[in-house]
Amino acid sequence: MREFLLELAKVAVEKGGGLGYDDVVAKVVSTDEAMVKVANSQLTVAQSWRVTELTLYLAKGKKIILVETPIKGREDIEKVLSNIGGYIKSVKESEMYAPLPEPSGRPLEGLIDPKVIDTMYRSSEVAAEVVSAAHSEGAEKVAGTLTLAVERKALATSAGAELYEEGTSVEAYLRAFYRGNSGHWAYGSRMLDLSALREVGKKAAYYAKLSTNVIDVPQGRYDAVLSPLVVGNLIGVVAEAASAFAVLAGFSMFMKFKLGDRVASDKFTLIDDPLLRPLPGSTGFDDEGVATKTKPIIREGRFENLLHNAKTALMMKTESTGNAGIISPQPWNVVIPSGDYGEDEMIREVKDGLLIVNNWYTRLQNYVEGIFSTVTRDAVYRIKDGNIVGVVRRLRIADTFPNLLRNIEALSKKLYNIRWWEVPIPSKVPYILVKNVNFTKPTI
Amino acid sequence: MYEDILQYAIDYGLSQGASYVEARYHKNTGSNIVVRNGAVVDAGISSKEGVGIRVIYEGALAFSSTTDLTRKGVRRAVDKAISLARSSKPLIKEPHALSEERVGRAKYDVVIKEKFEDVPLEDKIKVMVALWKDLPKLLKETKLVSLFEAYVESIEEKTLITSDGAHIVSRVPRVFFEASIVISHPQKGTLQRLIELGGSGGYEVFRTWNVEDVLSGEVRNIEPVLVRGVEPPKEPVDVVVGSEVVGLIVHESAGHPMEADRIWGREAAQAGESYVKPEMIGRERIGNENATVIDDPTIPGSYGFYLYDDEGVPARPRYIYYKGLINEPLHNRWSAAVFNTRSNAAARAMDFTSEPLVRMANTYLEPGDCTFEELIEDIELGVYVKSYMEWNIDDIRWGQRYVGLESYVIRKGELAEPVLYPALEFTTKSFYSSIVAKGKELRFYTGTCGKGEPAQGVPVWFGGPDVRLSKMRVGVAPR
Repeated sequence: MREFLLELAKVAVEKGGGLGYDDVVAKVVSTDEAMVKVANSQLTVAQSWRVTELTLYLAKGKKIILVETPIKGREDIEKVLSNIGGYIKSVKESEMYAPLPEPSGRPLEGLIDPKVIDTMYRSSEVAAEVVSAAHSEGAEKVAGTLTLAVERKALATSAGAELYEEGTSVEAYLRAFYRGNSGHWAYGSRMLDLSALREVGKKAAYYAKLSTNVIDVPQGRYDAVLSPLVVGNLIGVVAEAASAFAVLAGFSMFMKFKLGDRVASDKFTLIDDPLLRPLPGSTGFDDEGVATKTKPIIREGRFENLLHNAKTALMMKTESTGNAGIISPQPWNVVIPSGDYGEDEMIREVKDGLLIVNNWYTRLQNYVEGIFSTVTRDAVYRIKDGNIVGVVRRLRIADTFPNLLRNIEALSKKLYNIRWWEVPIPSKVPYILVKNVNFTKPTI
Repeated sequence: MYEDILQYAIDYGLSQGASYVEARYHKNTGSNIVVRNGAVVDAGISSKEGVGIRVIYEGALAFSSTTDLTRKGVRRAVDKAISLARSSKPLIKEPHALSEERVGRAKYDVVIKEKFEDVPLEDKIKVMVALWKDLPKLLKETKLVSLFEAYVESIEEKTLITSDGAHIVSRVPRVFFEASIVISHPQKGTLQRLIELGGSGGYEVFRTWNVEDVLSGEVRNIEPVLVRGVEPPKEPVDVVVGSEVVGLIVHESAGHPMEADRIWGREAAQAGESYVKPEMIGRERIGNENATVIDDPTIPGSYGFYLYDDEGVPARPRYIYYKGLINEPLHNRWSAAVFNTRSNAAARAMDFTSEPLVRMANTYLEPGDCTFEELIEDIELGVYVKSYMEWNIDDIRWGQRYVGLESYVIRKGELAEPVLYPALEFTTKSFYSSIVAKGKELRFYTGTCGKGEPAQGVPVWFGGPDVRLSKMRVGVAPR
């Protein structure tokens, strides 16, 4: 497979060069994936995919065109180059154009777990264990998915990159129901770790059962313990806003800040870490062939890095950070270094607050100001004087990201590998205590 | 297209013991232009082409897809699906079944008046680039700091064959435009507006939108909101909700909770469940007689247009809520079998890698008979929320929030000063029970609705008239 995919990428670059394009990047990605989906504790569908796709970047006279197409062999490359033939004449010069960088990336080794490949087409057996773990902890019914995948990536550029990398991935999440409550947990890794997967079932059930004493709270400001699921979702939005392209396109809270500005509590550091092998976003090279590296976006509260490819770096007169995205830079893995709180200790710290297990539907009123709201789902637990005293149903966090980041008070010692429907960027994150978070709920 | 390959997949699957086999050739092609602040970022083309196979084997449903459009390729995909189904036995409780339907054998396409390829790329770019020069002239006290635009033209071609006789061939071209505007004031900060326009047809559809006029109008109207916007009244007031917001509300709080797969719990870990329980259908009321919500895939020119769904069932309008009654959920053939009813053709798949799910198409609140002036004429003090940016709804589709963008105080029956970020937060029942009057003009808006795992985005319209609600408290988004 390695030789075949690399050959396709190299042929695409050669043929593009032969047609007079100044710069060519060809990325060929072949994915084998199997997913088991469960609801009401039973199978709803088992799915599998095998897709090989070519992404082709072509530039001539600073004009840029992009092609995305499925690919089976060399003949598809000729077909697509012929289809795009007259296009370049009609496009205007791109303000984003930058010459392709010299390749510096090297593939990361050790991203494959053979157990993932071996188990892929009998993943229902593993899913059944996760379901069983939740039931053994008392869940009445569960829903969730288990996805096993192997991705093989070849990259060739007219600047000389010829790179190949392959890795497996595991993503599991489960929602457990108990007496009208629900709990949720998730896991993302490159390795198949059965005990970690069973833990997904157990933790989902634990959060469904923590309290069944339903109570009401008025809307207002509360101290909030955010679970790693919530942290992964909300901080994922911040990490995406750190893409220099998001800044250029008007979709980033960092438009209002300069590097070095204080944007968060000094207890908070946010890192993009592509070199953390166990997380599924790990990679040794970006889409321009540049070496990836670990870099803080926010260090101890100060804004330290935007994420760049060669194009945004040239526009902003800086260096690539190895985060290409051929047009838009992207975070690879979100990592928040641990704090010094035990999880129970963090709850005990709260006099008048809420524990938020999970959230969804984060939407922004204004990306530049970072005004947003998000809806809690699954249980919200009421904390009074350091104790959980009841369960609250469906509140909404309505606040701004600058407020949220500035009010971070404590982080847990333990970090969790999270990836699920609402946390698409693989994340290794703690529980976080945030002071004075604004909560709302329907007024009629 | 590829009928022989699809038929081979059906025959082969049945020969291997599947009780149902469905093979769908599905090709999505498109091209796009991206422009930032009047300068082209890039232009591109994209293509996805392959076959999606679904089988029911010993009561298990499995899906597999392939880009290999040969007999060998689809045979491998069928084998994979059957193998997945076979290995799933430990998780099967109730065998998967489909409702009996009079599936179609038909061919249809959307007629294009002006082919995409007949309009030079330069002309398409010219329209987008010009906006950056023209819009700032309309601003008096603020500055246009960002204008991000994307134009997409696409064609979706499908051939569906099922083992129980469906054979549907379709071709639907679509066009889509979106823009993000950010204006800035030295003391007041920024305001942001997103606009999406979409429909089925050729480039003639884009021309009818007059995007220059649309964006000019938006820029003119949002500037006073940023510069002079006030907080909404603190006491409960009459609220008039513009058709754009109404369309979103009915999509979120009528269409989604009435997806039958969600009612059963199939999406419980993803898009969530529903406040609607099976025993409520046809019996319980969710609103007053003004609450009639329809989902209709057959609206010509619509972004969610289709005539047969992806299980071969002929499409028709569905009366989701009827005069306040929880009336007709959206069904595919699986949910119809579970609920012991018939499918109403709501099965849609995004592309060849996607299983057909229960989806909306074009969802709207039935209009009434008032002019806008009549809606507001006897309001002493109220708020009119014309457009929105931020919204969300909980996972049972009950508690929801919409934060206004272009909004005004209504004083003594007339629109008065602009309001900054009024927040409406209500339950589904309170919204549909609070409609006291409806405008007579029905308008549609464009969206891409997300659901499923892997997530599938499908084109939809949502719409309605302007609507007057009884008194409610209006909040304000934090700044």
